Amino acid sequence: MKPLIDANSITYEYIRRDDEGNVEGITTALDHVDLQVKKGDFIAILGHNGSGKSTFAKLLNAILTPAEGTIYVDGFDTSDPANVWEVRRKAGMVFQNPDNQIIAQVVEEDVGFGPENLGVPTKEIWERVIESLKALGIYELRKKSPNRLSGGQKQRVSIAGVLAMHPECIILDEPTAMLDPRGRREVIRAVRALNDVENITIILITHYMEEIVNADRVFVMNEGKIAMEGTPREIFSRVEELQNLSLTVPAVTLLAHELKKAGVDLPDGVLTKEELVSCLF
Amino acid sequence: MFRDMTLGQYYPAESVIHKLDPRVKLVATFVYILSLFFIGSVTGYLLAALFLLSVIALSRVPIGFMVRGLRAIVILMVVAALFNVFLTPGEVIFSWRMFSVTKEGCFIAAKMVVRLTLLIMGSSVMTLTTTPANLTDGLEKLLGPLRKIRVPVHEMAMMMSIALRFIPILVEETDRIMKAQIARGADFESGNLIRRAKSLIPLLIPLFVSAFRRANDLAMAMEARCYRGGAGRTKMKPLVYSRRDRIAYLILALYPALLVAIGYFHFR
Amino acid sequence: MFVLDEVSYIYDKGGAYQSQALDRVSLTVGDGEFIGLIGHTGSGKSTLIQLMDALLKPDSGTIYYNGEDINGSSYDRRKLRSEVGLVFQYPEHQLFEESVFKDVCFGPKNLGLSQKEQELRAYRALELTGLSKECFYQSPFDLSGGQKRRAAIAGVLSMEPKVFILDEPTAGLDPKGRKEILNLIRDLREKTGMTVILVSHSMDDVADYADRIIAMDKGRVFLDGTPKEVFAHAEELAEAGLSVPEVTAIVRMIADRGLPVDTSVTTIPEARDEILRILGR
Repeated sequence: MKPLIDANSITYEYIRRDDEGNVEGITTALDHVDLQVKKGDFIAILGHNGSGKSTFAKLLNAILTPAEGTIYVDGFDTSDPANVWEVRRKAGMVFQNPDNQIIAQVVEEDVGFGPENLGVPTKEIWERVIESLKALGIYELRKKSPNRLSGGQKQRVSIAGVLAMHPECIILDEPTAMLDPRGRREVIRAVRALNDVENITIILITHYMEEIVNADRVFVMNEGKIAMEGTPREIFSRVEELQNLSLTVPAVTLLAHELKKAGVDLPDGVLTKEELVSCLF
Repeated sequence: MFRDMTLGQYYPAESVIHKLDPRVKLVATFVYILSLFFIGSVTGYLLAALFLLSVIALSRVPIGFMVRGLRAIVILMVVAALFNVFLTPGEVIFSWRMFSVTKEGCFIAAKMVVRLTLLIMGSSVMTLTTTPANLTDGLEKLLGPLRKIRVPVHEMAMMMSIALRFIPILVEETDRIMKAQIARGADFESGNLIRRAKSLIPLLIPLFVSAFRRANDLAMAMEARCYRGGAGRTKMKPLVYSRRDRIAYLILALYPALLVAIGYFHFR
Repeated sequence: MFVLDEVSYIYDKGGAYQSQALDRVSLTVGDGEFIGLIGHTGSGKSTLIQLMDALLKPDSGTIYYNGEDINGSSYDRRKLRSEVGLVFQYPEHQLFEESVFKDVCFGPKNLGLSQKEQELRAYRALELTGLSKECFYQSPFDLSGGQKRRAAIAGVLSMEPKVFILDEPTAGLDPKGRKEILNLIRDLREKTGMTVILVSHSMDDVADYADRIIAMDKGRVFLDGTPKEVFAHAEELAEAGLSVPEVTAIVRMIADRGLPVDTSVTTIPEARDEILRILGR
């Protein structure tokens, strides 16, 4: 099957300028990255700040276009200006700051904003809005002002807004970075449900390792390159490597790693508390 | 505490007036204000007041909220009224030293007070019964024909509604930055005017930086959701006139007709 | 140092969203303590720390700093604010000067110190935060996220406070940045001996760094003690929307299986040793 997202050897550079506008240097944010995503996959991209993961997200949504290489979203070349709107509809995007991506003054109107832009007929907009609000578990908040919601609720409104555009895939660029633990749980649970129930392809960009336990595949980025790739278990079993890339391993995995070093017989890459306890006793 | 500061002081209630199409309310307010400038008789003012009072009664907004809007201009009204009372030449009814009160002066002053009161209360009815979002929608639709002469009506309406969404956020942010600077020993309260203006720099610069950052983020988020201006957009909540609105327009048409009729009898 | 006596605060008093943000809170803060303040969003933590810096006025109750009522009519609140340094969430949002150094001078300048003393303090503060020297004279807006945060923390440190209160100083940073800031706070306390109050959402962080934990819910302090004492109340914490550190949860699961394990462990090394002990190694 043809991949939904097909990135071939993409490179992106930022030009740094000084106060007078002279070129000071070039930062290579992405350096010949290859990445394919199948329809229905849950992909996680990990990396610390400046590793290139956010630039990658913006390339998928045609907010940026690659300097070299090509990206196809469901067969559409993102570099072709004629494809921009089709690419953006197919690859919806959720950003980090919950306050700066809600446009309307009422929740339901914000969810309807995308379909309005697409020229969807009024009756269908309502169907899509209601269905999306329900999928995110925020139907009862539909009449509220976004300013009255918690961070987790606001992010779910944003996700509903993207879902109402009927995308093939949703890209979430550090959606939980500004949330408290409760909000983080809400958002991650909602994203997982979208993948499981609605079979929507998910690309989750994050620096919280705990959030990627359920991903099908994980990419770890460093200095514009893909440094590691594999299932969560494969990635989590390489504790020292992750620490060298300045990522923190969840406490469970770290404890299992420590116990293993002390000679306890445990499998590699323990992901959950339950798993650790049942392996031990 | 500023979180839900609604601009234009919307008062939520379930009433016929609340449910009216915003366009009806905009047109009605316009007609009403216009009528106040043409009325020339006491009967006319009585009719105008009666009309307003019945609308207020229908709106279920406590009259106290209507009067609140008047407080801001009460001093202005008193001063202007006094000027008129004393300085209008005409038939003197009372005089003391160099001041004299004339019959015409009293009449003009009374007329002005009544007119202003009705005007303020009339526009308050609109802002109290219509959400800012609704008002923006109504304006966009009413001014729609101006698009033909290249007035960016949709863009202006979008700007207004984004402003309304971000005002509470920025007010809260101002409060937070102010506190953070006070915690660093900043003093926003003492000193002369120049010193005080200077003391605002640590507040204003971070606020501008933040507003630009938000604008940038928002623009990106809107584009990511396929926003490309007003062309080709559909509406989730299109404004459609209902029976109620048509009746309101009819009543509204009757109002100036009545005024004219009264005026006709008055002048005979 | 601080004594709070039955302090209450009502949010949006008389307004549409009136609520009891703090409800008769009494506590004392001793010299040189490292306190972790936990509670989910809206539990009253932020209100509490703003009251301690006299940025809010309690509706009832009294706050004493070194024996004096900080809301007394003749009390010098600017002096209080110089001794109690408060770092807000996302403190980099308060940076405004053209250079980092000048920004850090802002606090000492407001204290009315001489130019020389201002610069000495700014220099010392910047050195303490470990910001590299080439950043000192750059515009704060050109720094990276982690550097900005350090610069902003230096801006409070330069007042040379005796009590240092930080509201979620790691919010929005990547794992590396988080670790660095937490280590910085620990080092600062060791070097200067100041009292630290750290507001945090991460149970693992407060367990690792604080000596005492205060847990809040619905405007009240419901637990107050050493990490071991506080994290022994797993059920009460869960009721307040909080949790215990991951490793504590793991040993509790082991205890549930009927094994004689000490459930008071809160850090990874402790958990490792305890598990190794009951495994008989």
